[in-house]
Amino acid sequence: MSNNPPKMTASHVDVSYGTNHAIRDVSIDVYREDVTAFIGPSGCGKSTFLRSLNRMNDTIPTARVSGDIRLDGEDIYAREMDVVQLRARVGMVFQKPNPFPKSIYENVAYGPKIHGLAQSKGELDRIVERSLTRAGLWNEVKDRLSDPGTALSGGQQQRLCIARAIAVDPEVILMDEPCSALDPVATARIEELIHDLRGRYAIVIVTHNMQQAARVSQRTAFFHLGQLIEYGDTSDIFTNPRQERTKDYITGRYG
Amino acid sequence: MSPLTLLFLISALGLVAWVIARTRARRFRRVTRQRFSSLPQHHGWYVALCTVVPALTFLLIWYFVSPALVTDAVLATSRAALLPPPGFDRAAILSEAREIAAGRAFGAFTPLGQALAPAYAAAQARFDTIGTVVALLLAFAGGAWSFLRVRPGFSARSRTEGLIMWLLLAASLVAIATTVGIVLSLVVESARFFRIVPVADFLFGTHWSPSVIDPRDPGAALGAVPLFWGTFFIGAVIAMAVAVPLGLMSAIYLTQYATPRARRWMKPLLEVLAGVPTVVYGYFAALTVAPVVREAGSALGIASASSESALAAGLVMGIMIIPFVSSMADDSLAAVPSAMRDGSLAMGATSAETIKRVLVPAALPGVIGGVLLAISRAVGETMIVVMAASGTATLTLNPFASTTTVTKQIVDLLTGEAEFASAKTLAAFALGLTLFAITLLLNVVALMVVRRYREAYD
Amino acid sequence: MTETLVPQAPVSTAEIAPHRPTDWRSHAMERRIRRRYTAERRFRLLGLGAVVVSAACLAFLLIVMIAQGYQGFVETRLTLPLDLRDLRLERSPERLKGPGADLALAGAGLERAVDAAANRAYEAEGGAALLSDGAWLRVRDAIKHDPRLLTHPFTLALPVASAIDVAAKGNGTPAAERSVAKLGAHLSCGAAWDFFTGADSTDAARAGIWGALKGSLLTMVVTLALAFPVGVLSAIYLEEYAPRNRATDFIEVSINNLAAVPSIVFGLLGLAVFLGTLHLPRSAPLVGGLTLALMTMPVIVIASRNAIRAVPPSIRDAALAVGASPIQVVSHHVLPLAAPGILTGTIIGMARALGETAPLLMIGMRAFIAAPPAGFTDSATALPVQIFLWSDQVSRGFVEKTSAAILVLLVFLVAMNGVAIFLRNRFETRW
Repeated sequence: MSNNPPKMTASHVDVSYGTNHAIRDVSIDVYREDVTAFIGPSGCGKSTFLRSLNRMNDTIPTARVSGDIRLDGEDIYAREMDVVQLRARVGMVFQKPNPFPKSIYENVAYGPKIHGLAQSKGELDRIVERSLTRAGLWNEVKDRLSDPGTALSGGQQQRLCIARAIAVDPEVILMDEPCSALDPVATARIEELIHDLRGRYAIVIVTHNMQQAARVSQRTAFFHLGQLIEYGDTSDIFTNPRQERTKDYITGRYG
Repeated sequence: MSPLTLLFLISALGLVAWVIARTRARRFRRVTRQRFSSLPQHHGWYVALCTVVPALTFLLIWYFVSPALVTDAVLATSRAALLPPPGFDRAAILSEAREIAAGRAFGAFTPLGQALAPAYAAAQARFDTIGTVVALLLAFAGGAWSFLRVRPGFSARSRTEGLIMWLLLAASLVAIATTVGIVLSLVVESARFFRIVPVADFLFGTHWSPSVIDPRDPGAALGAVPLFWGTFFIGAVIAMAVAVPLGLMSAIYLTQYATPRARRWMKPLLEVLAGVPTVVYGYFAALTVAPVVREAGSALGIASASSESALAAGLVMGIMIIPFVSSMADDSLAAVPSAMRDGSLAMGATSAETIKRVLVPAALPGVIGGVLLAISRAVGETMIVVMAASGTATLTLNPFASTTTVTKQIVDLLTGEAEFASAKTLAAFALGLTLFAITLLLNVVALMVVRRYREAYD
Repeated sequence: MTETLVPQAPVSTAEIAPHRPTDWRSHAMERRIRRRYTAERRFRLLGLGAVVVSAACLAFLLIVMIAQGYQGFVETRLTLPLDLRDLRLERSPERLKGPGADLALAGAGLERAVDAAANRAYEAEGGAALLSDGAWLRVRDAIKHDPRLLTHPFTLALPVASAIDVAAKGNGTPAAERSVAKLGAHLSCGAAWDFFTGADSTDAARAGIWGALKGSLLTMVVTLALAFPVGVLSAIYLEEYAPRNRATDFIEVSINNLAAVPSIVFGLLGLAVFLGTLHLPRSAPLVGGLTLALMTMPVIVIASRNAIRAVPPSIRDAALAVGASPIQVVSHHVLPLAAPGILTGTIIGMARALGETAPLLMIGMRAFIAAPPAGFTDSATALPVQIFLWSDQVSRGFVEKTSAAILVLLVFLVAMNGVAIFLRNRFETRW
């Protein structure tokens, strides 16, 4: 696809919870100008792997991550890596929309505030507006920014969460099945949004919906039982899979 | 300088440090517009904490250590040579001198106490000055050292958060310190008591009359069996005879029969019973219930009917415990899977039959655990028995006769004008230790029973 | 309860006898079902009875306290004609407003003048002995309020002595009852404001609760200042940051056990450590507050942990994912959301501490203290302890004072619990 160096590289990553080995020996490169989709049956470890890309697994006491994950060549599990800064650079959107029980404005402004990205109120306002606009929500909420974020519909809440992630100006956005709790119309909006955001941020999306992966992504990784079975251009994976298991999954023989 | 002024001064220093460090950190940001891990206020907090925390920690330690240092300094003066050898008299004189020096007492009973007071005051003033100076020095040193570290790349946020984490840990250690404090103070004083009175005399003796202690054989008058019996009789027998049926039946009615609306106002009504202060129950027991109980006893032809009967105290204690039993039973009944209830009802059993034969047996371990907790509560209850039960210890099965309890005796022993180290005062700590051990045991067993029961239905 | 649920069809005989279906309409069966329904009703009534009995106990207790206590808020007054023109005052009446007026009036022999007036007016009924010891203070305050009273005769209703007061309320000794009958229309009733402004006294008619109330308030300030921060901080630590290991388990077990330790044991701890080892002043709100803080802290910890646990993890994830540090996650999101629960638990714990008596007895807050404490290290008593002390008094006048003090304490507790319930209902969020 491109000759630029990868944004994130993961090599030989293992993740385990206690004695349970969730991910084995996964190596993947993520590129800035692409949307990368992780597909695979439920429980195959794709979400676990995603969470290890911004160290959200740190919040689970028994989780162990080994291997090497780098952001722009920096080892994100290195001692001197500040996990807070890492998460500001690698944002995340969750399966279920989880806006803070605060106003819409506060939801988006929260990240810029804690990272000190705005020097003034006006600058903060501009960041909020820009983020909501990019998330395609501005026109719907511009007149009620002080309403609670939880009062929005599910699809709007999810776009609010995306706006919140964008607001801290991340380099990578991780999306963990962002549409699984939404209806088809809202899903279509999110997919459009992903399409619009492509190129500005490196996007990694976990989905169990193959059509969605085919629609939104340029590169696709197929996970099965904690292993990476196949990784390549989306068009190749869907039209011409090299592995038998990938083919079986895509053609709906299991999953 | 008074402790409050000092605290205020140190806090003010912290505030100044915060403002200065924040201003300085802001200046970096204007120079370079790159992303820092720490915002200006993080630097402010870091310097402020470095200013305040060491000084306060020192003051806290100093507050605990300096009384001993002051006493040592006083003992080193020439007048202190006149003091009697270590023992009760010496402690009394020293404490008198300390009270006078602190301005809390004006005359002394012993001339030596009066004579030592100036030395005490001088030593106190000296050590107070030392404490103040060191605390302020620490504050300045901490502030200066941390201020020098304020640089663009310095991760003040993670340092501050590390400090806060230590603060949180320290807060949760207070619980351990309290537990250790309780156990230590009880054990140390009890050990002193058992040096005077043999353990066996205390635990198995059946005669309790601390007002007349024979100095040659103090154990003869300090046998605690009548107290243990009285405590058990009032707390575990009479009170439970009231609280268990009423509490259990209330819980059954509220969970199984009452409409949600009735339940909404009946349940808080019961809980109000638990919120009434025990001193009110005590007054109620002594003033209203006890005379009625004595009359009833006399009417029944019981000559020994006392106005300080076990029955009056136990009845009122039972009323106090009702909401406790009721809420435990409520929880246990609610934890029984509804499938069991439905199964019984589906066979054509009536509600009463279902409750008696299915729900209550299934909830029984939880209920028993709740009753054990209630007993532990009743055994430790003080004010009702202090006000309504008697001070004389008798071994009796007659609920109309006067009976005393462990808690009542602790209060009686400690509120007389007895010296701190006598067998009487120390006996209160031995009783306290016994009480602590019994309630702890009851709680542990009760929680084990309840937990096992919960696991069975999870 | 030996009846069985359904008529038993013995399995062993079923093979022998030909199977007959149960006749549900037989006479015996119908009687049986009726009996079972009766038992059902009986059981249900038994349950209702238990609730009613418990509620009746509460109602009875409250009625007894109110019936006895309301009179504590009322005082009997005797109308006394006064003529103070002979009073030798060292200052002009116009200057009686400023400081020093109290001393000037006392020095002029106001107390004796009032007594003399009472002796003149009611010689047959008992004279000055009819009046409360503090009656002349009312005259003093009246004069300070309006110095012109010194220039002409006037009448003033003054509080009567405790024995007369009790008799006027229909509960006194025969002698006092006779005096009351004779005084007749000279007696009147009024609100006993002194009850709210006075401190403890050996004279029931002068005893008030302000001293004890102030002692309680100072004690509660110390308790809150210590128990609240320590309780909330340790709850945060245990719930959000503590590693799962033996040490943490030990902390948890300690806290849960402390919540169940009898309050008197905390009193023993206070006596041994705060008074015995640290030599803090005896009977002081500082020591009382410290002791009650140790007792209240576990309650706050447990309530706060429950409130913190109720905050859904998705909020924490959301904050972490935009790069909030663990401390920021808690201070910006978890704590604000858990605050209502934490506050509710704190108020309930404080209400319990306010009603607590036994530990305060242990650290000597039971002394007779006739002046309200001025600071945290002054000798003081607390409201529940005052109730306990008054309940021991032989004098009849203290019965109504005790009940009245109980009513005041209950009003405080009801108010605190009311606020707690309001907070819970107003801010409770279900996730």
